[in-house]
Amino acid sequence: MKILILGAGAIGGYVGGRLHQSGADVTFLVRDKRNEALKRDGLVIKSTKGDITQMVKTITKAGDGGPYDVVILTCKAYDLDSAIDAVAPAVGATTTVIPLLNGMRHIDLLAAKFGDAKVVGGLARVGVAMNDKGEILHTSPFAAISFGERDGKPARPALVELDAAIKKSGVDGGLNANIVQDLWDKWIMLCTLAATCCLMRGASGDILEADEGRAIVLETVDEGCKVAAAAGHDPGEKGITTIRSFLTVKGSKFAASMLHDLEKGAMVEADHIVGDMIARAKKAGIATPNLRMAYAHLQVYLARRAAGRA
Amino acid sequence: MKILILGAGAVGGYWGARLHQSGADVTFLLREKRAEKVRKDGLVVKSPKGDAVIPAKVVTKGSEGGPYDIVVLACKAYDLDSAMESIAPAVGTNTTIVPMLNGHAHFATLDKKFGPEKVAGGLARISGMLGPNGEILHSGASGVSFGERDGKPARASLVELEVACKKAGIDGGINANINQDLWDKWIMLATIAGMCSSMRGTVGDIMETEDGAAIVLETLDESCKVATAEGHAPSDKVLAGLKTMLTSKGSKAVASILGDIEKGGPAEGKQIVGDMLARARKAGIAAPNLRFAYTHLQTYEARRARGGLK
Repeated sequence: MKILILGAGAIGGYVGGRLHQSGADVTFLVRDKRNEALKRDGLVIKSTKGDITQMVKTITKAGDGGPYDVVILTCKAYDLDSAIDAVAPAVGATTTVIPLLNGMRHIDLLAAKFGDAKVVGGLARVGVAMNDKGEILHTSPFAAISFGERDGKPARPALVELDAAIKKSGVDGGLNANIVQDLWDKWIMLCTLAATCCLMRGASGDILEADEGRAIVLETVDEGCKVAAAAGHDPGEKGITTIRSFLTVKGSKFAASMLHDLEKGAMVEADHIVGDMIARAKKAGIATPNLRMAYAHLQVYLARRAAGRA
Repeated sequence: MKILILGAGAVGGYWGARLHQSGADVTFLLREKRAEKVRKDGLVVKSPKGDAVIPAKVVTKGSEGGPYDIVVLACKAYDLDSAMESIAPAVGTNTTIVPMLNGHAHFATLDKKFGPEKVAGGLARISGMLGPNGEILHSGASGVSFGERDGKPARASLVELEVACKKAGIDGGINANINQDLWDKWIMLATIAGMCSSMRGTVGDIMETEDGAAIVLETLDESCKVATAEGHAPSDKVLAGLKTMLTSKGSKAVASILGDIEKGGPAEGKQIVGDMLARARKAGIAAPNLRFAYTHLQTYEARRARGGLK
């Protein structure tokens, strides 16, 4: 089975590196500059699960080296359009596309471009970052990806084969029969965390110090849950409890990565994570006053950033 | 007439300097460090209306140099408690206190401590800031107004203060409508401080977003309802002026509290936004936007208290 990974950034580089290390046939589709660096220095992973520097297969045009059985997308949502263009030549009649993005909108966009049947669901949970030398720093105890059919049917052979390769590579996760619900649950959590941390400009625990911080966080969870329910993906009692308790830990220093991006002046996935939730709420006639306020905050940031004043 | 001014920041410093220059008997009550600096270098004013170095009279204890006919409080709202302790020995039977603070919360505190008959209303329109060496950087408006809060004719000492102000080239003077003006200014400030801080941008930045203008006008409306409930509804003319000012496209207008937040300094969130929200609650007025804004400001304080995001 031939696997193409778009980009060799934090998540793609880590997962692809582990797959390659364990013998899978992995190719990275990268830009010229990254290609040169990888050819010169190899792919460097520094990890709690062991360091490794290895030479990997790379291409700079998706037309090379194919056809691929599986194409994995790990780009940021705001780069999705260019990512779709970049991988398009690598997607053949029997290719499966696995996006490891947060939110849901990318799935519609990918399905529209490549056809519904080619696009499955995917979810990454890897605490990993890339430093300015292009080294992949995996500092957390977890590294997992999961994927599965969006209609809940038994997984196609390519996913079964990928599941075996993932298990061999030491990355956790694999096939997930419940992938769409898991994507929704994660989106609700992430949307709430990003919206509240950015609107309030603080870590989860800072917000909880404010008189009504907890109430505002829980209302925001509720807005996301209503949107999910309207789409047929109510997280259920257990799902909601998990999300609520994760977001209301007193003293927690955990903050949305979007807040870190905001404070660095970087691009943020505002439209994908918060804006799209609001758009779906509007369509379903659901009021989302908290998300509206947070989205206004993010739009102010983007306007300032566009004007060079972030 | 002997005038004591607590604080030599932009408002107290500029006003006092001009009074001193025109021959009024002005003393500054300052903290030890600031007093030393002013004794050594004089009070340095840089202003479009003329630079000056004033050999100002300085005391560090309210018990020195009194009794005073007028005590001007030009401190930040969060310093009110310590300011009251400092001036207490300077306040005699015939002293009038003129507070130049924003909001309304300070009146209850001052009335309780000194008796309502001693406390007049005061409003500053002096734009400026302190420079790195403690110099007063005056940038534009130079008006102060003061008057009896019950609307009765001004007492003799306020009349005398008005004469001194006119002589000093300070605009304004006695204001028969001081209480309403204080409310009008507070409505404006609660809105602009609440919005610029929770959105982290100028009025113009907020206008760049889809719902920005609507959110600002809703917030203004929340504050207007509070003012109305307290018997101080703004006139149609004032309200129209506020609406125009707060929704002007491309406006660089920004609340000074945003500068305080971006510097990581103390902010008057509780007095400007928190107190408006508290009064809304008491009157049974829904104030969702003030609630978001105050939660933002409280989150800021929590984060500041623990020294950052990390």
